[in-house]
Amino acid sequence: MSVDVHSGYAWAALFATLTAYIVVAGLRKPISFLPFHTACNAVLSNVSQTTRLVLVRILRQGHIPAHISFIMDGNRRYARTQHLKATSGHISGFHNLTRVLDWCNALGITHVSVFAFAINNFTRSADEVEALMDLATNKLRELATRSELVKKHNVRICVVGNRSMLSEEVQKAAEFAEEETKSNTGMQLNICFPYSATDEISFAVQKVAEDVAAGKVRVEDVDEHVVADRLQVKSPDPDILVRTSGQVRFSNYMLWQSAKHTHIQFIDVFWPNFSFFHMFCILVSWQLARRQIFHRKA
Amino acid sequence: MTAVVWFILLVLVVVLVRVSGYQSKWKVRQQLLDGACAVVLRSAQLAFAVHHSFQAWVQNSLTQAGLDMQELLQGDDTEAVLAKRQQLSDLLVSLPQRPEHLAVILPEVKVRENEAIGNMLTGEVDDVEVLCAWGLLAKISHMSIYTRDDSLSRSFDSIAGRLRNSKMVARAFDGRTPNICLEAKSQVEHICAHSDSSQPDIHICLWSRDHGYPSIAKLAQELAREVQSGALSPTAITEARVANRLQDLRGCKHPELVLLLDDLPCMSEFPPWQLQNSELIQIGSGERSLGDAVFRALVRFAKIEMRWGK
Repeated sequence: MSVDVHSGYAWAALFATLTAYIVVAGLRKPISFLPFHTACNAVLSNVSQTTRLVLVRILRQGHIPAHISFIMDGNRRYARTQHLKATSGHISGFHNLTRVLDWCNALGITHVSVFAFAINNFTRSADEVEALMDLATNKLRELATRSELVKKHNVRICVVGNRSMLSEEVQKAAEFAEEETKSNTGMQLNICFPYSATDEISFAVQKVAEDVAAGKVRVEDVDEHVVADRLQVKSPDPDILVRTSGQVRFSNYMLWQSAKHTHIQFIDVFWPNFSFFHMFCILVSWQLARRQIFHRKA
Repeated sequence: MTAVVWFILLVLVVVLVRVSGYQSKWKVRQQLLDGACAVVLRSAQLAFAVHHSFQAWVQNSLTQAGLDMQELLQGDDTEAVLAKRQQLSDLLVSLPQRPEHLAVILPEVKVRENEAIGNMLTGEVDDVEVLCAWGLLAKISHMSIYTRDDSLSRSFDSIAGRLRNSKMVARAFDGRTPNICLEAKSQVEHICAHSDSSQPDIHICLWSRDHGYPSIAKLAQELAREVQSGALSPTAITEARVANRLQDLRGCKHPELVLLLDDLPCMSEFPPWQLQNSELIQIGSGERSLGDAVFRALVRFAKIEMRWGK
């Protein structure tokens, strides 16, 4: 059978085949029998990076939220779908977190908060809690010293939560991360670890009482703003709260801040699978709703 | 003709470039690119808005084809209606999990008047009546109805009068008169109280913003006074103490399910402390009636898995 190479259909078929080959070969498999696997991987990465840059530019033509908050749920279920241990799911979750922070930085979002570990997560198995603490210790140090985000983009790390519940080693890692980045002027990253909103509010109420006893505040002047100023998260109220994995609850996270006018998005995808496409959809939805939100605030 | 149009466009672009002052080619290219991106963004926003409206229309069409929940409580007591009502009640009671405490966030008056969600709701007093009926049908013992602007408290007497004489509420309670406790911030009324029953069949609280942030601030002030007077030390202000002081006087748990009746997924300053373990279900203007919204929320809640951090 002869093929007429000058026909438009033949060229279209050839182009489609080549594109399909690049996509298949570039699917980041560790071992591939396809030739030019590395080159195709590079092409695919560049294409997706370029697409992302274009989409970021498109989003930046509209309003960008100042503060976005994530409940990174679904790491263990993701690991189960991949037939891996729970710890691997948390590691995949961390890698996706660095990607998400990169996107947020590119978009110009100035504050990002993430719910890394809840106080009631201590009820999980001892092995898993220990693995999470080890992960936190290593990754906090890695973020503070070797990550591109901190070095190139000047990210400031704040570890928010009841640190007295952590071991000395983890507390030192948290202090190290904060100390290393305290003079950075870029995006602020609040890592809530270990955290619960009710603990945060109680802490703020305690601080108010201490400041009144010390004469810093008059008891007659105690109001919502005085309490809000003493909350642990030192960022404006989140514009958007995103929870992955399809669960539809707050799980005691940033209740004081999010119960006001935060745009709440529950996304039915596990955190390690949270992609830029989801981010794009969330931001466009928020941009559409923004005027209504501001109208209601007034 | 086409050539003329292109020529005019080119002239316009050149004039714009001149009027905006001399700029480098790179800047002009950046501006043109930004303009193109802005057009794409507006198109994406339009596509999202159309998609959202389409989804609401589809949902509305589907619910119209289905059973009208509201008619079961508002219609005459024929044999067929009674049988369906009993079936519905049995279905709700048989759900694997039902909330003991259901909170409903109703939009405030200015939102009802100006936005599409107002079409699903009738009036505030009617809405409370419908919610009370559904609460009795589903055997929910505690219901909190929240409006940010406290408009329900201002209609307290009208609501009490309506519930006292409500046929819908009686129908939901197997034709009997239920014992309802209606509570607002500074008023409590027992409606149709039976002499032999101290426990209400349903307890309805009318919440507003005052039950949330101002309550916590007031508690902070009270505790600060106690610390100042020496009756309490600051380290004794723990989460357990704060929780104890904020607890409902009747010992009711925080709502397990919060039903947000709004197209906008925002909590409207709902009391934050009470949200800690709540599932949140949002139902927008795509639902035909409030009864459909409550039914849908209860069915969705029945399928939710609660893991409590584990």
